Amino acid sequence: MCGVGGVVRADRDEPVADGALRRMAAALRHRGPDGYGLARGAGVGLVSTRLAIVDLVGGWQPMQARPGGPVLVYNGEVYNHLELAADLRREGVHLRTGTDTEVVLRLLERRGLEALPLLNGQFALAWWEPGPRRLTLVRDRFGVRPLHHALTAGGDLVFGSEPGALFASGEVSPAPDLHGLDDVFTTWGARAPRTVFRDVSQVRPGHAVVWQAGRVVHDAAWWSPDVGSRTDPAHQPLEPLLRDSVRLRLRADVDVGAYLSGGLDSSLLTALALQESDRPLRTFSVAFDDPRYDESPWQQQVAAALGTVHHVLRVGPSDIADGFRETVVHAATPLVRTAPVPMRLLARSAREHGITVVATGEGADELFLGYDVFKEVLARRRSVEHPAHAAALDALYPHLADRARGPGWRRALSAAGDAADPLFSHQPRAVATHAVTGALYREDVRQELDGVGSLDRLRAQLPLAFDGWDDVERATWLELTTLLEPYLLAAQGDRASMAHGVEGRYPFLDHRVFEHAMGLPRAERLSASADKVALRRLATRLLPPEVAARPKQPYRAPEVLPFFGVDAPAWVADALSPAALEATGVFDGQRAQGLVRRCRDGRVQGQREAMALVSVLSTQVWFEEHCGPGRVRHDEETSRPRVVLDLDETAWEVSA
Amino acid sequence: MTSTSRTGSVVDQMRTFVEENFLYLRPEVVLGDGDDLLALGLIDSMGFVELVEQVQSRFGVQVDDAEITEANFGSLAAMGAFVARHGQE
Repeated sequence: MCGVGGVVRADRDEPVADGALRRMAAALRHRGPDGYGLARGAGVGLVSTRLAIVDLVGGWQPMQARPGGPVLVYNGEVYNHLELAADLRREGVHLRTGTDTEVVLRLLERRGLEALPLLNGQFALAWWEPGPRRLTLVRDRFGVRPLHHALTAGGDLVFGSEPGALFASGEVSPAPDLHGLDDVFTTWGARAPRTVFRDVSQVRPGHAVVWQAGRVVHDAAWWSPDVGSRTDPAHQPLEPLLRDSVRLRLRADVDVGAYLSGGLDSSLLTALALQESDRPLRTFSVAFDDPRYDESPWQQQVAAALGTVHHVLRVGPSDIADGFRETVVHAATPLVRTAPVPMRLLARSAREHGITVVATGEGADELFLGYDVFKEVLARRRSVEHPAHAAALDALYPHLADRARGPGWRRALSAAGDAADPLFSHQPRAVATHAVTGALYREDVRQELDGVGSLDRLRAQLPLAFDGWDDVERATWLELTTLLEPYLLAAQGDRASMAHGVEGRYPFLDHRVFEHAMGLPRAERLSASADKVALRRLATRLLPPEVAARPKQPYRAPEVLPFFGVDAPAWVADALSPAALEATGVFDGQRAQGLVRRCRDGRVQGQREAMALVSVLSTQVWFEEHCGPGRVRHDEETSRPRVVLDLDETAWEVSA
Repeated sequence: MTSTSRTGSVVDQMRTFVEENFLYLRPEVVLGDGDDLLALGLIDSMGFVELVEQVQSRFGVQVDDAEITEANFGSLAAMGAFVARHGQE
């Protein structure tokens, strides 16, 4: 796990300044705190910061197999690298290290982009071919690892794991992208290739972007999630597949831990990890002071039943308030929820306990239909087609108070969006997210958006197959592409854990597990009485029965109280003042005071206003720290690089 | 107080409450007595609960869960009529 970055010039005679690369290294140091490396050549500079997990001695980057040959900077892990290395050796390839980096480099050299489907893992990479002066940027199937890039007016390409690296280079200036922000305030994250920064793009998950001669010459998928596939899963049952995915993800030369939420998915992974590992497993959990959010009794039960060495991080409102700014800085985007804050604090706790790799359960709810949105869309469709069934909507979300599920609730579920809308499944959430926040936009922001909302743009980007999918398949695709990658794996995932140099690993996001899940009969995932049916069946053999049967509890953290309680930090009131809001220029300073007043008076109980508060406050922090005149600026990395490649050398000196 | 004047008082008080708490989002809206508060997008399900709580605490009316309907709380006029009906019981 690492950070990568670089600059490639359209004009090879224009040098890339050493200082720019060292500033990029400094901006990515949190992702790779164990050291960094550089590669420099005519009109090209690459940088890598490393979190050492595999081959602690030999795995430094940038990596090159031979003088004058292609160069790789690589962030992430390919878990089947031992098997791929064995294949390469059989083909006569001599490998110098035990790293997955070298395996990927040699595979790319031999097979080009056709090598990508062989890789089982989570990675983002940049591959520089000196001969054709071609840079290829690649991102893993589900977009676990980030990769951002910007094309300058002169045709140079600047890239980096995080946008901060691009800005640190001095080649790209940060400015808000209003459509990217509107994505956040509608579906919780900017959808790739768009970002919240103007003229900064992300490589889309499962895509490769190729730059050559001053322009992007290729931007296409090498893998895409086929949620409508109908393969027969009988030839490969779930358990050995999931077991193998866990086994591969325990591969590391450091100890691996696990996040334990107390729910089905993380508990199941922990049980499998214990069986597949010969080392004691340490588990980490967030516990909340507020019982509405707390799952610690379940966590303790699972940890005790499985015998893990369990660590609990207790989080209260003041922890959320104190940790908010740094979380937003690392996320590099406004947030609609505070939930990423405890996840960052949990990563910090894991790091303090000496754990730099954690297995975690993301993906299971998308693959095995655990999220409420799947049950919800089926109930909403029934209520549209058979209005007599509208009362079924009241049975959704049993954890909410009865009164909260009154007429407003039924209206929100039944009236949100046209039944013929391809985004029918996601309208209630999008409407709830955008209702208050969107109403607070400044008039000039509204004009610049020109009536084109985030969902309008999403409708225009749907895959051709979308029309042929049913409600659940559509909702699955939308969850994967509009929530999992842009938010859960990003602000709440990679950016939260890599803030402290901790790598999350996601056994459910093994593409083989995904393809298996998509091939299951629907009733094996969602029946009239249960969700995640196949997973629960497996869990009954490995977990206490009440854990295997436990309904999902959405992971959330307190949203209003941390910023308006007695311990609220002073900067909050300043950031929400009319003058500060006007200076940022996204929200109407006066209008937002109505929301601030209701938060201060303790009146806000609903999701819409809570999300609006977090959206407005995080936008203020994000703008100040990333776009404003006082934004974060990185000094040059001054320590010695662990490796420096001279890309203009055609022969390596051999030292004794 | 007559039923009519009590209804008027309820409507005026609830108008002030809605204006202070929900119209910050839509300051251009001039709220009519019969306007559908949910359809206007001014309140959500929790906002609806706030209306019920306000009616209970301001006017001393006990509201059963079964009475939490749009017919009773969906507009200022509906709330006025609801309180008036309870006053007659």
